[in-house]
Amino acid sequence: MIVLDILLDGLFAAVAAIGFSTLSDPPRRAFPRIALLAAIGHALRFCLMQYAGTDIATASFAAALAIGFGSLWLGRSIRCPMTVLYIPALLPMIPGIYAYKAVFSLILFLQALDDPTLEVQYMQQFFLNATVSLSVIALLASGATLPIFIFNRQAFSLTRKIRRKADNQSRR
Amino acid sequence: MKQNHELTETLDFIAEYATYLLGSGVHTSRVVRNSQRIGASQGVEIQLMSFQKSSIVSIHDPRSGESATRAVRIIQRPISFVRNSDLSALSWEALDEQLPLDEIRRRFERLTAKPYIRPGAALLAVGLANASFCRLFGGDWIAMAVVFVSTIVGLAVKQRMQAKGVNHLLIFTLTAFVASMCASVALRFDCTAHIALATSPLFLVPGVPLINGAIDIVEGYILNGCSRIINALLLIICIAVGLSATLMLFKNSLL
Repeated sequence: MIVLDILLDGLFAAVAAIGFSTLSDPPRRAFPRIALLAAIGHALRFCLMQYAGTDIATASFAAALAIGFGSLWLGRSIRCPMTVLYIPALLPMIPGIYAYKAVFSLILFLQALDDPTLEVQYMQQFFLNATVSLSVIALLASGATLPIFIFNRQAFSLTRKIRRKADNQSRR
Repeated sequence: MKQNHELTETLDFIAEYATYLLGSGVHTSRVVRNSQRIGASQGVEIQLMSFQKSSIVSIHDPRSGESATRAVRIIQRPISFVRNSDLSALSWEALDEQLPLDEIRRRFERLTAKPYIRPGAALLAVGLANASFCRLFGGDWIAMAVVFVSTIVGLAVKQRMQAKGVNHLLIFTLTAFVASMCASVALRFDCTAHIALATSPLFLVPGVPLINGAIDIVEGYILNGCSRIINALLLIICIAVGLSATLMLFKNSLL
């Protein structure tokens, strides 16, 4: 059953990534790779959180790193910049429930200003959920961008067609 | 060596190319690199300074010592990764194949004329995506169905308003409200209504400007990155306001 859970998680992440990516008009040739990256990333985060007891922030960072390196590796053959592959693949990992809870507890806080105990409780919930959402989003962005810094020469020439010939020229 | 009018022609093209990319949601360093690459293919140096709404492009011919500068407006366009990939590839083609300016311009016009994704197809795809997203958060089948419908309604409303040229902050607020109001139908059923409500406006999250902003900041284009992130945060606040309106109405049934 564990395998099925992981596969389903990957599958739904892939559908979500493909669907959301249509809002940013990606090249058709990139769809299979975006789906693959999203599935791997989300399933990795799911495994880390469910079976390895990792927290959501660390697990998201690890997943984003995997997506970042994957997009560097998969972008070459279809001549797509890394961001075209990894931005849609990251979208299913946006911590929506935490963001929602932050908004909801802010509303409850503002309506409980006369009740000191409830007030503190809602404020605490607001900070907890807002902190988690912001850190996860920041870690997602930085994790996927890290490979650009490590391999910047490769990352900057993913859309180049005749790589070998040009390399020879520059060596001469 | 370039004649004066050739220099301004090259400048005009590169300014158009750079602002096209900046308007289509490409992060700053890529636009700078691509423009300089096209400049290099023509034997000139390019410097580019960019702000949220305009850019200053400067061209310099090292052989003649001539230079020229233009400030150009950035026209906001729909985000397009097709154009990001194709126009980046064009800059490499220009350099590797030593294309003349006329040919680069011809290819640029052909690539930018490609159609965008059809709004109808986007509706269906985004509906399915948001329903899957709901599932990832632990929503059940009923919640998924509710999210699917409310996403389609929300996005359709958003597309209509965009076509009418409504202010984009207003569009985000109203769309989040409409989508979450539709999703509040889930409260009538025995299902994970909280998750349906939470997921319904999430298709609006401006992921591309957020991540582009983060990339810009870490690559040293700090001002640009901050303005992108502030823009994205404004939109997120709008989504929160729209969602809050629904939550206020249904607060008691949610607690």
